[in-house]
Amino acid sequence: MSEGRREQEGRDPLLRRILTGAAGALLFPLLAILLSFAIGAVIVLATGNNPVAAYVALFNGALGDPSAVGRTLLNATPLIFTGLAVAVAFRAGLFNIGGEGQLFIGAVTAAWLGVSLGFLGPLAIPVVLAACVITGFLWGSVPGMLKAYFGAHEVITTIMLNFVAINFAYYLAQNPLRQEGPIPGTETVDLAARIPAISFALGRANYGFFVALLAAVAVYLLLWRTRRGFEIRAVGLSPGAANYAGMRLGLNTILALAIGGSLAGLGGGVEVLGTYGNMDVPFVANLGFNGIGVALLGRNHPAGVVLGALLFGGLYAGAQEMQFATDVPLQLATVLLAIILLLVTATKLVEFIVGKRARALASGAGTRLERGLGS
Amino acid sequence: MEDFFGLLGPILQSTVRNATPLVFAALGGLFSERSGVVNIGLEGLMLISAFAGVVGANLSGSAFIGLGTAVAAGLLFALIHALMTVTFEADQIISGTAINLLALGGTGFLMVAIFGSGGTSPRIEGFESVAIPVLSSIPLLGPALFDQSILVYLMYVLVPVVFFVVFHTPFGLRLRGTGEAPEAVDTAGVNVARMRYYGVGLSGVLAAFGGAYLSMGLLSAFTENMTAGRGFIALAALIFGRWNPIGAAGAALLFGFAQAVTYSVNEQAIPIEFIEMIPYVLTIIALAGLGGRAIAPAAIGKPYRKE
Amino acid sequence: MSDRVAGDGASSKGAPPVLEMRGVTKRFGAVTANDGVSLTLGRGEILGLLGENGAGKSTLMKILYGLYTPDEGEVFLDGERVEIRDPKDAVSRGIGMVHQHFTLIPPLTVAENIVLGAEPRKGLSLNLEEAVRATEELSERYGLKVDPRSRVADLSVGVRQRVEILKALYRNVRILVLDEPTAVLTPQETEDLFAVLKELVADGLSIILITHKLGELLGVSDEITIIRDGRVVDTVDAADTDEGELARLMVGREVLLRVEKEEVETPGGVRLAAENLTVRSSTGALAVKGVDLEVRGGEILGMAGVDGNGQTELAEALAGTRPVEGGRVFLDGADATNLGADARQERGLAYVPEDRGTKGLVQDFALYENNALKTYDEPPFSKWGWIFPKVMRRRAAEALRAYDVRPADPEARAGSLSGGNQQKAVLARELSGDPGVIIAAQPTRGVDVGAIEFIHGQLLKQRAEGKAILLISLELEEVRSLSDRILVMYAGRIVGEVGPEATDEQLGLLMAGRGVEEKSA
Repeated sequence: MSEGRREQEGRDPLLRRILTGAAGALLFPLLAILLSFAIGAVIVLATGNNPVAAYVALFNGALGDPSAVGRTLLNATPLIFTGLAVAVAFRAGLFNIGGEGQLFIGAVTAAWLGVSLGFLGPLAIPVVLAACVITGFLWGSVPGMLKAYFGAHEVITTIMLNFVAINFAYYLAQNPLRQEGPIPGTETVDLAARIPAISFALGRANYGFFVALLAAVAVYLLLWRTRRGFEIRAVGLSPGAANYAGMRLGLNTILALAIGGSLAGLGGGVEVLGTYGNMDVPFVANLGFNGIGVALLGRNHPAGVVLGALLFGGLYAGAQEMQFATDVPLQLATVLLAIILLLVTATKLVEFIVGKRARALASGAGTRLERGLGS
Repeated sequence: MEDFFGLLGPILQSTVRNATPLVFAALGGLFSERSGVVNIGLEGLMLISAFAGVVGANLSGSAFIGLGTAVAAGLLFALIHALMTVTFEADQIISGTAINLLALGGTGFLMVAIFGSGGTSPRIEGFESVAIPVLSSIPLLGPALFDQSILVYLMYVLVPVVFFVVFHTPFGLRLRGTGEAPEAVDTAGVNVARMRYYGVGLSGVLAAFGGAYLSMGLLSAFTENMTAGRGFIALAALIFGRWNPIGAAGAALLFGFAQAVTYSVNEQAIPIEFIEMIPYVLTIIALAGLGGRAIAPAAIGKPYRKE
Repeated sequence: MSDRVAGDGASSKGAPPVLEMRGVTKRFGAVTANDGVSLTLGRGEILGLLGENGAGKSTLMKILYGLYTPDEGEVFLDGERVEIRDPKDAVSRGIGMVHQHFTLIPPLTVAENIVLGAEPRKGLSLNLEEAVRATEELSERYGLKVDPRSRVADLSVGVRQRVEILKALYRNVRILVLDEPTAVLTPQETEDLFAVLKELVADGLSIILITHKLGELLGVSDEITIIRDGRVVDTVDAADTDEGELARLMVGREVLLRVEKEEVETPGGVRLAAENLTVRSSTGALAVKGVDLEVRGGEILGMAGVDGNGQTELAEALAGTRPVEGGRVFLDGADATNLGADARQERGLAYVPEDRGTKGLVQDFALYENNALKTYDEPPFSKWGWIFPKVMRRRAAEALRAYDVRPADPEARAGSLSGGNQQKAVLARELSGDPGVIIAAQPTRGVDVGAIEFIHGQLLKQRAEGKAILLISLELEEVRSLSDRILVMYAGRIVGEVGPEATDEQLGLLMAGRGVEEKSA
């Protein structure tokens, strides 16, 4: 009986692929988003405000006019990078909580080289970004090597390395790279060596967004069209089978985390060369941690990461408008994102709401989530 | 000599103060992780409790009522973590990250909603230092150890109590078993989910003491993101202390000492940023196994399913 | 409440049976694991529960232990209908279970493991002295030797099993269920275990013994209930039956003991060889201690032995997926010791791993990806670091059809296939490259009868084509019917070589390591 059903499904693999692919992939995130907005509405009501007005303002602030769209793109750009940094590692079965620190390493690299190579003008941009990729790669390989050679779990080491990286970057920014004047931070990169804005109407949104899209395409090709990607995915889904097939677990572990680091590092570079022009102390926080949410919401697929980053970016962009237009504090955006993150991996909750069949469809985030942390 | 003592006294006192919130949170994390649930949400649990304590104290005018609201908030957030990870089988790392984000956004949101603006809350009635007669007059150590807030004394008591509970009671045996081999505990007729709720719930209560100490012991007000990574340092202390209450407390004291030294030594022989890296670097070294590998409870991070 | 009933009057007539299960049905989705199963366990009786892997024995016992809730049917204890909600409930009703996979907590001591969940107390604290004393008392009473203070992590498998039994006895069980208890034991340890079981029933306990090994049950049990495809086929008196009848009942047809095997006149040259090979297990212990072997073209060399005597590590070391501690491996005469799995495969080595679930296949990969799991980095699947999924799909479709994998859909997720079809998918990948040397570890474990025949047929076909085949199996019948020569492995060493005509007794003695100098106990 079940054989028959299988064959029937087998006859139309395309249809089944779409069903288990798109619908399944979207079901979980959509439910999480809907639920979080519902909870958010209750919170807004509880503070004596009108949730409809708040959400309308939120939407307008995110997409209502070109400058709003520009803010959304601007916010989404670094999140695409940090989301990809999480997703690549995740495909290898690794949890990269280190996006925050990796981004800081890239940012301080760009702040340093952007100033010292500023005489190259626009030519400096690719050179500096390449350097960010390299420093991010090297920094990202540290937890990879700690895992491969010493068995130290990457969740804890990447968390700890975040603080090491942030402190290190702040030290550089406030000592050798310090700018003149009262504001702690690095000198500002020459305008000629900055990533240009896309258009006047879109405000500060810059071509860094397209760099992020290119990175997403590159990650897609890496994972599904190259030997390395095949190995990374095999290692992530079944280390035993990958080892059996002759793949090197340690090497792939190191590479997956290092590639993740290079993506977040590139994101830091784009933030400095595109958005800020220098690295202030304190620098923009939580981009790395939000990348985790972006990646999970996007099912650890590059296309999903881009969508997730746009959603997060839009929420942050809209929140300011919302606070301006209504009395709802802009921190509601962070609360909404936290709730989304809280719900997005809760398989049992979805099963509870929509039944087991849907759960089966929705599974397959790309790797096993319930892998433990024990040694 | 005078100078040395003059410097050492304040350093020791500041060491204890820096370490106290870390010890509370690390002991909390210990209960959670020993039951098999990773708790990287300690930071958020401390933050929300620090805030709730200030709100409670502000509304009631009593520090003790503030402590009560802090504990209630910590417990509530911890139970959200337990609900998501134990009942709904969400990923523990993700849920912990979400708890941190929720506390950050939530306190920011509520600061505006309750006190009308972000930044710093109004001053509240906090816990003053209470000098213990006789003991506090011991040279050097007396002021450091026995002229502190009541929460610090609570911390002294809790370390041995937690040690006793974890290693010498049936509850502790079951807790440790749950973190190591939940299926074994289950077949022995102990409810795994309940043990994990206890573990995570206790982590909320203990982290709340840490949070309350920040906003009602060290300061007498809440400032946005005032935990500033202390939850992660507590996690580091827990791991560096090998998931043992005495070890975790020792690690927290060590980290607190490092901070105290930096703040009191004016000459920047070593930049402060490098001192602040110490807990994290030591933890990485411990995890990498240099000087005896730190090994986590075996079942940590995995949801337990009956089938 | 759960005090054990005294042993005298064990067979008191008229009293209701200790346990009766009536019409128990349990479905998992479309699969019916138990279909109206009924069984009866008398006081002081050992009931054998016999069935093939996947017949539904474990499911039934998990229902009894409260781990699953039945969809239909009733359970009676001492004639009283009960609903067992969870293991705690089962324990309080006097039901104990020794699982196939032990449920012990390695870092804790024996005594701590035994009292867990029913701890003796002294005030608020755990009374460890009492726990140790209770353990010692039980251990002496039933001859189950253990040291209460040693850490479980440091104990051997046989001792861990004793701890499991003691755990149940500490809880005053009246009914003890043992799930495949002998799978990890040597024949000698098995005998010891059975002696203990007989002592236990003499003391008034009732025991259910689950196994798929026919021979064992005859000696130890009173009655035997046979389950096939989730249904009870028959219940027979152990005294009135024999292995042939049991096998027939279990499998549902006359078992072909002899596979038709062509005579291969002269075996060819040595294609796979190991020389004084030493390998460590994942725990760091020496698992293979100086093994020499040679497999010639056109022969199947069987490797028999009780599970866990180093066969797995040997296969992995030969295939190159586990590092070698000492000694050498030769492929077609060339030293391959320092070659990785990848390089050995390129030199014509195929390896069917014993665990297709976690080694042979990536469960969440599509079949076409699994089919290219070893050759993804070679033309035509790959060039310049890129891979070509279209080519992979086309090749996979051919291979899947040739090896009768159902569904033969390259896009199907490996994990969605049945065990037999998964194994065929592994064979399709391993054999379609025309390898010269094949290592097949447990190739038919957990596979349905149809697939077993197919797999055996494929191995014999490869043999006829002059391939060198090393067959590692726990199933003596399989080893005997397919192999040209049989090596027996015990405690990491080859302890003997016999022909396929060797008797159970001969093999059994060798598998138990009899007549072999073995210093470590």
